[in-house]
Amino acid sequence: MRKGVGRARYWPLLFLLAVGLLVPGCAKKEATPEPAAKTLSLVIDAEANRKDEAEAIAANLREIGVQAEVRVWEWSALKEKILAGERQFYLTDWGSAYFDPFDLAVPKLKTKDRGNYSFYSNPEFDACMEKALTSIDEATRKEAYFKAQDILYEDVPWVFGYFRQEVEAAAAGIGNWQPSMDSRINLHDVTLKDGDTIVVGMKTNKIVSLDPAMHRERDTETVIRNMFDGLVTRTWDGRVVPEIAESWSNPADNIYEFKIRQGIKFHNGEKLDADDVVFTFERILQEGAIGGQSSPRKGLLGPLEKVEKVDAYTVRFTLKNPFPVFLQALVHFQIVPKDYIKKVGDQEFAEKPVGCGPFKFKEGRLDDRIVMERFDGYYGGSPDLPPVGPAAVKRVIFRMMPDPATRIAALKAGEVHIIQQVPPDMAADLERDPKVQVKKVQGTRCYAVEMNVAKPPFDDVRVRLAMNYAINWDEILKTVYGGGATRLATCFLPSGFGFNPDLKPYPYDPEKAKQLLKEAGYAVK
Amino acid sequence: MRGVRILERVLAALPIMVGIAIVVFAFMRFMPGDPVDIMIGEAGGVSEAEIEMLRAQFHLDKPLPVQLALYLGRLARGDLGYSIFRSRPVIDVIAETIPATVELAVFSMLFALVVALPIGVVSAVRQYSLLDRASMAGAFLGISMPAFWLGIICIIVFSLHLGWFPTSGRIAYGLEPRTITGLFVLDAVITGNLAALWDALRHLVLPSVTLGAGVAAVVARVVRSSMLEVLRTDYVLLARAKGVAEASVVIRHALRNALIPTVTVVGLQVGTLLGGNMIVETIFGWPGLGRLVVDAIFARDYPLVQGSVMVYALTFVLVNLATDVLYTYLNPKISL
Repeated sequence: MRKGVGRARYWPLLFLLAVGLLVPGCAKKEATPEPAAKTLSLVIDAEANRKDEAEAIAANLREIGVQAEVRVWEWSALKEKILAGERQFYLTDWGSAYFDPFDLAVPKLKTKDRGNYSFYSNPEFDACMEKALTSIDEATRKEAYFKAQDILYEDVPWVFGYFRQEVEAAAAGIGNWQPSMDSRINLHDVTLKDGDTIVVGMKTNKIVSLDPAMHRERDTETVIRNMFDGLVTRTWDGRVVPEIAESWSNPADNIYEFKIRQGIKFHNGEKLDADDVVFTFERILQEGAIGGQSSPRKGLLGPLEKVEKVDAYTVRFTLKNPFPVFLQALVHFQIVPKDYIKKVGDQEFAEKPVGCGPFKFKEGRLDDRIVMERFDGYYGGSPDLPPVGPAAVKRVIFRMMPDPATRIAALKAGEVHIIQQVPPDMAADLERDPKVQVKKVQGTRCYAVEMNVAKPPFDDVRVRLAMNYAINWDEILKTVYGGGATRLATCFLPSGFGFNPDLKPYPYDPEKAKQLLKEAGYAVK
Repeated sequence: MRGVRILERVLAALPIMVGIAIVVFAFMRFMPGDPVDIMIGEAGGVSEAEIEMLRAQFHLDKPLPVQLALYLGRLARGDLGYSIFRSRPVIDVIAETIPATVELAVFSMLFALVVALPIGVVSAVRQYSLLDRASMAGAFLGISMPAFWLGIICIIVFSLHLGWFPTSGRIAYGLEPRTITGLFVLDAVITGNLAALWDALRHLVLPSVTLGAGVAAVVARVVRSSMLEVLRTDYVLLARAKGVAEASVVIRHALRNALIPTVTVVGLQVGTLLGGNMIVETIFGWPGLGRLVVDAIFARDYPLVQGSVMVYALTFVLVNLATDVLYTYLNPKISL
């Protein structure tokens, strides 16, 4: 009897157990269930110089329940893995030299373009870029770029980042000096209170050549530009203005005609005319034209097909198709003396360069220092960059000083007068020094986090958007870069053509990020 | 006889050099990254044709065995190739950095020896004395102190605050002596240019001390331990028993024998110093080989890296040989 009663007492429990086992099974057949939320886990890849930033991003992501850790790489090694599609989330940066998305947004985000590390592809975006790059009508281009920004803002292929303020410093006795956005240092106009020699502390180890056609590097150009002038040049804030050219016209969308200023002389006394201009560009366009070597700068001229002399002081450039950034490109090409190079050869020209710029080469070594002296026969330079006339100082020396702490110590000790690239954490201390002036200028490099959008989890726009909301950039930029950086809504820079100032960067909103992740099926905190 | 032996040793080094050439070639190609891609950098509108053209120019489009054969063929003729980035023959680029590197290496070693020898000897003679403990603690500090930190501290204290030495560079503009060897100090002495000599020496002090500190620490410890060993030998006991003056015992009898292990260590350190030191060269804006090589590696400038490593290898072979020859002078019982 007791036994029977005992068994009966368990019946309800067994019943419940059976129901419990059966019901979910039935439910499965009727409707698709929500999959169990999984944790989003990712590795943040960065180079050593952005490790702190990557750690801060990881901390932000952990706060919303994403498992994140940082891995530090050498760039080429990381790039290989990125291109193989083996990485997910990586801190990258890309600089622009043309003040146009042509060399930033296009290579970074156009389908399969060279710098497209996120594997982003949107035909609509590509079409906008194509339109902007083949028209020379500014309104059309601007409209296309605005539309492209809207598309990017919605597609969020990256965690959009920021651009930095570049900090440079000079001795208090230096006058008429303004760091330029393209980081070139034009010493023609710069004055020095006591003394006749300006010494510049360059941030680089070395420059690669003194031949304007044999490099593809900004620092090299910075030095060379003081010995050589171009058809056109740029103001410190990126506007193209005439230099050797007096004026130019566009007889057709793909043709540029330049009138060359008369009476310009090279440092060796040779007169500059159309022949020198044609020679300069043919030397770059033709394969093997520089002592058997080809110039690495050819590609920077875009679709330039031929350069012809119209008369002694007029040159015509014909392009395969309209190329709206052609003038911006020409800023980076300096005119060389035909007769001198023909006479001495390319090798000797690279060792003893002769240009028509404000300073002439005296002596130097590419990895040590380059010494130049004032060219008294200088034609004066661009009238748009006053004062016009010979350079203010007698001598300038560019010293290669790759260590920032040394550059700063040398500036404070009075050994150098202008230094490139002051790290943000050292700028404040330098600003307090009365013997030093510190100036900042908008950088032209875009820093961001790229995601592999071709693969899960970042093929889901909700996850990408969540990442944009999850990172507290304002705080990171304040703590890591001392506030010397400005956020960007997309990868378009305010210094570039066609920037839409009304687009605002995604705000820091961890709640929204969590909600988006939840929608995408991820567990959140 | 010694001459023949030396020649034999040099010839024996040849296969080593070939082996090194192949290994470096292979290592560089296995490294991720492409020199042309790095050279083109961040540009817009880059076409495949442009990349291919540049790759062909540097023979990077050919299969690896062909590239290797081309490289070894050139090497056999003494041609180190053409630097991809600097558009100049590798040999010229390297040759330009040699005087600066040698000058710094010599002065760092000089500093190291001047500091380390007396400290090592005195520490051994007065073992466990306060001096011994203090100098060995100093040596420990010297080994552990990173050059980037010591260098910056030296600049801040001696250049910025005291103003005794320039922060960086090799010589002030306008003071360079006429170039004979490229070593400013030597050229200044030869030409009797005192102003240049003084300025070159002032520029050498901080980098030499920074680079030499670590070497001094190692050498001091080696000298001390080998001195301790030698001081306990029978012949030292005998010399003392004969009534030889203590200074003479220590210097003539003990130190000379204790120098053999020291020479080995110094030889290795000289080899390293002649390879240049990227960190010290970067801090002091010193245009030497170390900076060149590291820069070439980051740029994947294959010919330049390969050429530099061959120069390193040759330096090591020669320094080792010189060390071995030196042994025979220190101890006639040793033969090559």
